[in-house]
Amino acid sequence: MTALSRRGLFGLLAATGLPAIAQAQDADTATIGWPSDVAGGWDPNVRFAPDAQSLLKMVFDQPMDQDPSLKLIPHIVTAWKMAPDALSLELTFRDDVRFHNGDKLTSADFAYTFMGRLKAGHKLDIANSMRSVADIETPSPTTAIMRFKTPSPTMPVWLAFLGSYIVPKAYMEQVGPEAFAQKPVGTGPYKLLEYQMNARIVLERNDAYWGPKPKLKRIVVEIIKDPSARVAGIQSGQLDLTVNVPVREVARLKALPGLTGELNPIQRVVLLQVRNDEGFTDRNVRLAAHHAIDKKALSQAFYGGAAVPLSAPATPGTPGFLEDYTFTYDPKLAAELLAKSGYSVDKPAKIRMATTNGTFPSDFDMARAIVAMWKKVGIEAELEVIEISKYFELNRGNKLPEATLYGFDNATGDPEIYAGYLLNPKLPFSPWKDPVLGEKVLALFNVADEAQRIAGWRALNKEAAETGATMPLLQSVQTLVRKQSLNFTKYGNGWILGQTFSRG
Amino acid sequence: MIPRALRDPRAFIGAVLFALIALAALFAPWIARVDPQDQDLLGTLLPAAFQAGGDPAHLLGTDALGRDVLARVLYGARTALSVALIAAFGAMVLGSVLAYAAGYLGGWTDWVIGRTVEIWMSFPPVILALILMTGLGTGLRNVILAIILVDWTRFCRVLRAEVVVIARRDHVAAARLTGFSHLQTVRREIIPATIPLLITLLSLEAGIAVIAEAILSFVGLGVKSDQIAWGQMIADSRDAIYQAPWNLLAPTLAIFLTVAAANLLGDGLRRTLDVRLREDRA
Amino acid sequence: MIATLLKRQATALPILLIVSALLFTALRLLPVDPAAMSMPPNATKAEVEAARVAMGLDRPLPEQYAIWIGQVAHGDLGRSIHVRRPVSTLLADTLPATIELAVAAMLIAGSLGLSGGLILFALRDNKAEPLAETATTLMMSVPEFLWALLFIFVFGVALQALPFTGRLDPGISRPVLTGFLLFDAAWLGQWKAFASALLHLVLPAAALGIAFAPPIMRVLRASLIDIYHEDYIRQARLRGLSETRILLFHALQNAGLPTLTLMGVQFGILFGGSLLIEVIYAYPGMGNLMVDAVRNADLPIIQAVGLTYCIVVLTINAVVDALYHVINPRLRAR
Repeated sequence: MTALSRRGLFGLLAATGLPAIAQAQDADTATIGWPSDVAGGWDPNVRFAPDAQSLLKMVFDQPMDQDPSLKLIPHIVTAWKMAPDALSLELTFRDDVRFHNGDKLTSADFAYTFMGRLKAGHKLDIANSMRSVADIETPSPTTAIMRFKTPSPTMPVWLAFLGSYIVPKAYMEQVGPEAFAQKPVGTGPYKLLEYQMNARIVLERNDAYWGPKPKLKRIVVEIIKDPSARVAGIQSGQLDLTVNVPVREVARLKALPGLTGELNPIQRVVLLQVRNDEGFTDRNVRLAAHHAIDKKALSQAFYGGAAVPLSAPATPGTPGFLEDYTFTYDPKLAAELLAKSGYSVDKPAKIRMATTNGTFPSDFDMARAIVAMWKKVGIEAELEVIEISKYFELNRGNKLPEATLYGFDNATGDPEIYAGYLLNPKLPFSPWKDPVLGEKVLALFNVADEAQRIAGWRALNKEAAETGATMPLLQSVQTLVRKQSLNFTKYGNGWILGQTFSRG
Repeated sequence: MIPRALRDPRAFIGAVLFALIALAALFAPWIARVDPQDQDLLGTLLPAAFQAGGDPAHLLGTDALGRDVLARVLYGARTALSVALIAAFGAMVLGSVLAYAAGYLGGWTDWVIGRTVEIWMSFPPVILALILMTGLGTGLRNVILAIILVDWTRFCRVLRAEVVVIARRDHVAAARLTGFSHLQTVRREIIPATIPLLITLLSLEAGIAVIAEAILSFVGLGVKSDQIAWGQMIADSRDAIYQAPWNLLAPTLAIFLTVAAANLLGDGLRRTLDVRLREDRA
Repeated sequence: MIATLLKRQATALPILLIVSALLFTALRLLPVDPAAMSMPPNATKAEVEAARVAMGLDRPLPEQYAIWIGQVAHGDLGRSIHVRRPVSTLLADTLPATIELAVAAMLIAGSLGLSGGLILFALRDNKAEPLAETATTLMMSVPEFLWALLFIFVFGVALQALPFTGRLDPGISRPVLTGFLLFDAAWLGQWKAFASALLHLVLPAAALGIAFAPPIMRVLRASLIDIYHEDYIRQARLRGLSETRILLFHALQNAGLPTLTLMGVQFGILFGGSLLIEVIYAYPGMGNLMVDAVRNADLPIIQAVGLTYCIVVLTINAVVDALYHVINPRLRAR
């Protein structure tokens, strides 16, 4: 005990004598500050969590991938062929891919991940994305044929999206999902070396990786939920890169020596999800509510002007984006529309509105700004703060208010996964229950022809805006601050991948 | 002429401070001259008027939505004071009724109430308030209700001990003998004797209620978002602590002054009214 | 003596049972549906219904309670709805952090309280006394969360002297042993981690501790004044003992009892107050777990954490009670 305490005093003095940034700047390591942990442990099929995709993509491989401009590209799957009726999909796999435990990846692992696990009763969110899958055949170790119950033209996109990561059949069956979530085995460019829930992830380069070798040997991910803690971390030099710091802090931080910051538009639309009944039964009220919102001012005040105002639920550059269509900001028109229905500032239309607080940057502020904009034209909204986890439960019970501020991530950019989800009467995202629009949405899911499909979604986006079934606001931005010495590849959907890091 | 109870300088300062805050709350529209809900998305997070880049129209600057900080602090006093007064009074009524019953009747009534207090006190107050707010939902009325339901024990415990002592006095027994009913005895003999203690506790509780309301608003479980509350202002200010420090400092100072007023008044009253009170945050 | 102690502690168990029943009932009355919340967004109504049956939510409330309390007795606290992890794991991860913070804060509160109490006592009948007392009143008017914010503002943002988020600097690997970070780091000889953990503890513990010091000062002062009116102090003086000796060996020892009782009560409140400090300092303890759970209506966590807070408070009461008996010779003789 005396030995220990003597060592203690000495050690303490030695340690406190070091300056804050003294931690050895290992050129082979990068430390990133990330706002959230992997959801549901390290089982990549369990939960759909957009923020966790960057983490999972370092340890696991997806069958397909997206390039930085979000084009769908081959990955583990080298070639794919969708049948014209979109009822089957043929896949060819690489044959040089090995899991971290040395097992070879084959089509059996693919079939097990997307079919076998569900049959074995594992509780997985991919049960939802794979709902249309009837069967997966594996004619050879490097080929598979997916067969669908209904046309599934977006299946290739889904194979590069939420939850679609290949796990090893043999290892999973041997240890079970609980143990797997603690000690995962993937095929990705990094292996999990150390994991402390909600605190720290240490990844080490997988030297046997089949693809391009990562330049950095080690990636340390610090899970820091508090934005001001991430700011402090990057400012003190303890972090090499961090995201989702307050927009205004980016300007301050990037002026500091050695740091740089950016606001990167990502594939997240911020919109109001609306009801078609109660206080929003009247189309005039809905359109007035939409016309009354000054999206440019919102972008200016909360995103430094970097967030693009939207008129359709799709981001610029994606197929569903309508270049030639703008839903105008026109408070006068809004007041006129309201007057037609007998409302005015003195006799306002009354609705309720919900927002999250802290789910995406400035959500609560934005909601309060919208309420103020509405008040000026004659809509009185009672604002309520909810957690995102309550959104689905409320909607399932048909209890969402007339308008809910919502951020929807769609890393793929596919229009089906925007409007097709946000307005789908059968999925949990939409409080809009009017069957007229709903039927059109459902019908578009079954269009196999690509050009026809895209055209259909574009028309629907416009129709939805003009009936007041959707009120898209902004394309969200990812705020990012990093050391100038750390280079990374910028993805259009905000992925931050350790395998793209380099020092220079 | 200063009432006897306020002759202690502390009580006097506390009372004056409290009155000033109440006046500020009451006359907020005249002092502030700006609507505290008025947003200006082009003028967000302005520094205070006396700092570089400040706007003379906004003495303490603006918040993240471009609303005037000074106006919000003044209007926030309305929320804080109404919660403080109503909740403190409610906790006093609930706590003291039970205390009179327990202390005067004794026996199993005393036992049941005593155990209830004990069970209540096995929850840290913050935790209990949080759980209650989860169940009740946000809103001014529920905040007040939660504070009453948490803090009645403060009154009950202290007062019960006092009532037990008073009830044993001769004149109380005499009152019973002259044919007073229990209710009459309590009303004529016991309650008057405990008034000084009650007033002192009430004053201290007002300060505690201000803090409790701020805490609940701070964690987002307080009043509704269109109501102006200091705790909410503090929570909002945290993202911009570098750019607009007055967003944090102004409501912080407001809470401090209000609580200090309540505590000074309570401390002074304890002296002037000669109340013996143990310091266990009763 | 042990029998007395046990008897006094026997009330703790029924209290705990009643508290747990109240907690359980109150939370079941909430307008949220744990079954629906546990399912992925696109679950159908039938799937939610199946989950409800699987979770036992279709059974009568007393039966649900009996099942829950039975599981709790076996150490099974259920599984979080939101993060889908066993609640016991989450608690094991966060409870040591909160205890570490609370104990550090209590040490600060205790030492500030003792020294402040002695200063106040020394100033008795002095002209400065009202001033000193007003100072304590003002100190008492700053609740812990305001101290926390002010400390961040002054030491974190303005002076940039101390860290104000989390328990460790990024880049330092956490020593894993008991979850008590300072202890683990010292035991494993990871001094860099130890220093970092200590620095991270300074502001939150100080904010929490300073808020709870003034009542201790006052009780100590009041008790000392009471004791100096007692006969044995006068006798000690007559015997020619020095004032320091009287203070240290006679007065303080006896004034310690009411102070100790108060500190016991205070520790319970302080333990609850740590919740806010944790939120403000992004400190990964039970308070943050609780606030997250409350926001997400994660009932299994709220139940378990609520109960844990109660158990801690009751345990502290028991310990203080025992200490009281050990220290106080008069009670021991009885």
